[in-house]
Amino acid sequence: MLNKYRAFVLGVFCSSLLVSHLANAEVAVIVNSANSSAISDTEISRLFLGKLKKYSAGDKAVPINQKFGSAIRKEFEKKVLKKSSTQVKAYWSKRVFSGKGKPPKELTSDKDILAQISANKNAIGYIDAASINDSVKVIRKF
Amino acid sequence: MKIKSSLLAVSSCLLLNTVSNVAMADVNFNGFASIVGGVTTASGEQLYGYNDNIDFKKGSLFALQASSDLENGLGVTAQIIARGANDWDPKFEWAYLSYDATDNLRFLVGRQRAPFYMYSDFLDVSYAYPWITPPNGVYNLLFDSFDGIGILYSGQLGEFDTTTHFIYGKNDSAVSALGETITPDFKDFTGLSFSANREWLTLRAAYFQANMTMPFQFLQPLQNGWAQTGFTDISNDVVMNGDKGTFIELGMQIDYNDYILNAEYTNLTLDHTPFGDQKSYYVMVGKRIDNFLVHITYGKDDDSKNDFTASAPFGVAPTLDFLKASTQQIIASQKSDEKYLIVGLRWDFHDSAALKFEYTSFSDNLNNTNDANLFRVALVTVF
Repeated sequence: MLNKYRAFVLGVFCSSLLVSHLANAEVAVIVNSANSSAISDTEISRLFLGKLKKYSAGDKAVPINQKFGSAIRKEFEKKVLKKSSTQVKAYWSKRVFSGKGKPPKELTSDKDILAQISANKNAIGYIDAASINDSVKVIRKF
Repeated sequence: MKIKSSLLAVSSCLLLNTVSNVAMADVNFNGFASIVGGVTTASGEQLYGYNDNIDFKKGSLFALQASSDLENGLGVTAQIIARGANDWDPKFEWAYLSYDATDNLRFLVGRQRAPFYMYSDFLDVSYAYPWITPPNGVYNLLFDSFDGIGILYSGQLGEFDTTTHFIYGKNDSAVSALGETITPDFKDFTGLSFSANREWLTLRAAYFQANMTMPFQFLQPLQNGWAQTGFTDISNDVVMNGDKGTFIELGMQIDYNDYILNAEYTNLTLDHTPFGDQKSYYVMVGKRIDNFLVHITYGKDDDSKNDFTASAPFGVAPTLDFLKASTQQIIASQKSDEKYLIVGLRWDFHDSAALKFEYTSFSDNLNNTNDANLFRVALVTVF
């Protein structure tokens, strides 16, 4: 019994180490190469919270999120939205269940997000800085 | 949080598999649930429907929301909630068509929530706020939803993001109150709420009014009695029949560096009815520590009713004395002076679920036999 408990504690400890290790990734915010709007940090946050729907040039913005619970998304939420993933989830549940808005579309990998952003001139997303290639434009690293 | 379903698309493809370009909207399903257990801490104590026998049904609920984006800004949403308190009988709480005229202007037509309070829009989504349920002292109107139109405008005022919400409609859903189940008629229900948010600060104000009728049987004999004795004004005041009720709400939220301060004040006025005017408020402070949120709330509820029988003399006729005494008894029952303290803990043990513990100490300054202490625990989730 005690051994089981020890194994559990060890497991929790190891997984928390793993999470904190992954969470140190650098987040790169990316847009389509044709997007010439200036986008401030506050605007990035507002775009991903559904409070801002257009770029400064007037084009419609289409934010694309990483999968809920992924390390990169947690990092983005912490550094850019300045909220924990629980707070972000609570925020969206308020909006979804009150008819005020719905969260950005989610894609599961950096590769899919890169493909989507290079194909859609209105899209904005974020990926691990290590995955950047020149099919998209990096506007900010966190 | 999101389960995307193409059921509709799949079934229509089966039916029409020769037609290659059938455009069918995806349906999104979302849901939330609360499992709440509650028990008062001593025998004979009752609070918010709980007694000293532990209960897991009253406060529990399951909800499912289906929504679909049609083309050109049009959307359709339905939310069904099954509550333990209603024997799990599912009911539509929301069912509306939405239309986004612009990025900032949205129209809702159908059954929707009246934005009375700061937490009205997501009243049942316990995951979205600190408590198990928002404080009962403030959140105690007879109805939450209405049928009609809502207009939502989101704008900016300096550094603030603002939401202006106008509603118009009616509610005539049956309610149980004062031992009777009646069909009320709240018509010309009109209201406006405004909230402004900037980083850690949210301010809110709301005003509502309605033309209200609540046909309680037990008031009929009094109404007739006063009418027969010639006291028409009192006869009108002893029932709620086409009377104007008004409601004002002020709210604030501060969420700064893991410190939280929430406060709300409400004022319900029901002139020319036998029901009390209610002034209520609560103040809550909390602190997030890692995955935990500890919070403490103090609230007060002050209800009053003027003696609208004052123009009728006492000691002139036995019938009149009886009417006056009976009516004054009702007036007295409408007064209250209550306060409560809630101490709670929320633990976000999972990305989509939280466990909450809450202890409420309630005291009734007019009748201390109503004093009670309640312990509740809840498992809440969104999916």
